[in-house]
Amino acid sequence: MQLTLDDGKIEEAITGVDQGTGLRIQIGDRQNFANANVADADDLMTLAGRAAASVAEGTETHVFTPLRPDTLPRPHDVLIDPRTVPISRKVALLRLANDVARRHDPRVHQVTVYYSESIQEVVVANSDGRYRTDTRIRTNFALIVVAKQDGVLESGFEAVRGTRGFETMTEEAITECARTAARRAVQNVAAQPAPAGTYTVVLSSEAGGTLIHESVGHGLEADLNLKGMSVYSGKIGQQVASPLITVIDDGTDPGQRGTSAMDDEGAQTQRTVLIENGVLRTYMSDRKHARKLGIPESGNGRRQSFRHLPVCRMTNTMIAPGESDPADILASVEDGIFVRKMGGGQVDVVSGNFAFEVTESYRIRDGRLAEPLRGATLVGQGPKLMSEIDMVGWDLGYSTGTCGKDGQGAPVADAQPTLRIPSVVIGGKVQA
Amino acid sequence: MSERLSNDAVVERAIASLRRQAALAEVFFRESSSTSVEVKDGAIENVLVHGERGIGIRVIDSQRVGFAFTSDLSAGGIEECVSAAQAMSAVTEPDPDLRIASGVTDRAELAIHEPIGDRTVEERADAAFAAERAARALDPRVVGFRKTSFFDGETTTILATTSGMHGSYSESWCGLSTSVIASEGEERQIGYHGHASRRHAEIDPEAIGRYAAGVAVGKLGARSMATQRIPVVLEPYEAMSLLGAISPLFSAENVLKGKSLFAGKVGEAVASGRVTIVDDARRPGGLRSAPFDGEGTTTRRQTLVSAGELRGYLTSLKTAAKVGGEPTGNARRGSYSGPSRIGPSNLYVEAGTEDAAAMVRGLERALRITSLLNLHTIDPISGEFSLGAAGDYLERGERQYAVQGITIAGNLLGLLSSISGVGSDLTFGGGGIGSPTLVISELSVGGT
Repeated sequence: MQLTLDDGKIEEAITGVDQGTGLRIQIGDRQNFANANVADADDLMTLAGRAAASVAEGTETHVFTPLRPDTLPRPHDVLIDPRTVPISRKVALLRLANDVARRHDPRVHQVTVYYSESIQEVVVANSDGRYRTDTRIRTNFALIVVAKQDGVLESGFEAVRGTRGFETMTEEAITECARTAARRAVQNVAAQPAPAGTYTVVLSSEAGGTLIHESVGHGLEADLNLKGMSVYSGKIGQQVASPLITVIDDGTDPGQRGTSAMDDEGAQTQRTVLIENGVLRTYMSDRKHARKLGIPESGNGRRQSFRHLPVCRMTNTMIAPGESDPADILASVEDGIFVRKMGGGQVDVVSGNFAFEVTESYRIRDGRLAEPLRGATLVGQGPKLMSEIDMVGWDLGYSTGTCGKDGQGAPVADAQPTLRIPSVVIGGKVQA
Repeated sequence: MSERLSNDAVVERAIASLRRQAALAEVFFRESSSTSVEVKDGAIENVLVHGERGIGIRVIDSQRVGFAFTSDLSAGGIEECVSAAQAMSAVTEPDPDLRIASGVTDRAELAIHEPIGDRTVEERADAAFAAERAARALDPRVVGFRKTSFFDGETTTILATTSGMHGSYSESWCGLSTSVIASEGEERQIGYHGHASRRHAEIDPEAIGRYAAGVAVGKLGARSMATQRIPVVLEPYEAMSLLGAISPLFSAENVLKGKSLFAGKVGEAVASGRVTIVDDARRPGGLRSAPFDGEGTTTRRQTLVSAGELRGYLTSLKTAAKVGGEPTGNARRGSYSGPSRIGPSNLYVEAGTEDAAAMVRGLERALRITSLLNLHTIDPISGEFSLGAAGDYLERGERQYAVQGITIAGNLLGLLSSISGVGSDLTFGGGGIGSPTLVISELSVGGT
């Protein structure tokens, strides 16, 4: 279900059911996959016929192992099922967020608030006898605030979301979320345009983990490494980052947006150390690629829905905290840029070149925060950047997002400590 | 086992049930089937067969709107969906401008349906293999592929309202895309290209393979460039990306809510005088052509920007009632599972008169963009963009060296007004958007 408050009014209320099945037949290296909305056993048999239609006559038959249902431990408990909460309560929170954001500053020009809840029931059964189920309850509360000053429009975004029940939707959390979105919009509308050029950058832990997701994470997905397509291909055991860098993907992290009991092939999720003190340890894998690369299945075979084949992808990915005091990291920079919040990003995994959006940033002058900046992007090459990071803070901050890969979206979280990058390209509009 | 209702029966049942509740309502039905065959290095990797069938119901009760969807098209499932939409309408606030369509649509000949028939998996795979062979033949530095896919599909859409609108159409599409990897020494680069069409004969696998290979090979040896302001050449496919980013500015919904930089600018110059932008849902064979939109409004061709001057906005029934004028038929439906959103149909920049190559040769120095990273982060509200880019540094049209690891930044309004050249090579891409080669007089580039 999704509710939208826009322009001061509850404008949209949507609910619905999408139910179906995806059937996959593996023949050697080839996968036949058929999916459809399925309501009953007849539909399912029709679908099985379509999946099998292009399997050649005489293909070796496989004897099915009898199904052995088992139960995986839950990563966390859902305290309040959102379906049990009256809609009036959800509407009240939308109004609260709208009021808080509009009262924040006279330059707040427009406010859009979204609340959505999704209940995803997953059943996985395969010919090896695996039979597992998982229920993923996710709640999402997000604001887009638009500020206007002298004809310039800027927006600010903030969200509270996770694989959580309604217990996270407290008035305090919603108020804080609305204030942050409004503050960001108002600050950006008054900010100086960011410069263009090469700078020392401090990434605050509050900035979230888009950096690790784009610059390293995608390159460590097994499918891209199988045929040597990633900049990290064939480098297990090698130094691929500064010794200060440890990278972990953890699908069990309680309540995070990328958390579930199992992946969408029924493999139990786990905490996987990908890079340890700069040394590449393993890749994130699904069944097919784990087998091909001879590495363990890591619970990273995720799908958007029954309409999609599993792809190797991240869950909750982080750079582990280090030993520096975040205050010392800021104080160490004479002239640079402080990134307090990152937006979306993208990577070309073959070359390692990435770009991500900066949604809140400041100039650093003499080790202190100076004027706010707007409209910055940070670009670089993953392995090069990871070998250059020279200070890692002892703090840790999370951000949430929806990752796009192979035409599928998946909920993820990313996290990082405060980091110092000695030299990186910033794209803004103004010449330094 | 439940009896499977025909497409028309599903819609009739839903409308009958809605009439009993005396509500104003709209039923959107869609059935879709598609196939894609993914190959890599000469072998079939995946065969994907996809089917979907569902309805979305929009109810307007006491000037309040509610929406529900379902893939359960049994009699019970339809009934539940009707009740859910009704219940959702009690949650929203009244808006006197909410409407449903009542008119009859015309029988437009849009050339959007070519039955797929009995195309085999092997025929589909052969097209993909041909693209791979052409890519390899272009240059020995082409070493492999991330994925090459051929895809096709057919969709039937039915839309009916309790006030008598009833329309349906069928459409088809097919296309091919490939990601080519080129390598030299330790360096590897990727080049993507794809195209889609309503007609199978218009897909040229070899041309797609060569184009992608050219992009990948062209990036080898790329280096950064100095931070500077420089003229920028956008070839059609890159120009389409930026035109797509500009499209939300035309939405009447965004205009009414103060989220568009085009608000209050009808009749004013918003782009260089060389620029004319058209939205044409009636373009024969257009990938986004349809006889009516997601609310049942008959579609049309509309000039949005004429020689730089803003002429109008894209509207839905509700927003047309608010801004005045006939609805433009731009309430687009992506699927049965979501309500319509205002968006462009076949949006394009009209061709200019200049030969693209001659236009580029006339530039002393320029940056030609061949790939952009982070297009999804362009904020249509502020219009600000700052993107990762790769391309070529040109002098008098001649490539001097390949460039990567740089940014280009600006504002969408600034970009439109600084278009100093429009080529005659109008090309339509796989997303229905079209553009000729564009020259931007100057953009800010961030590098070393």
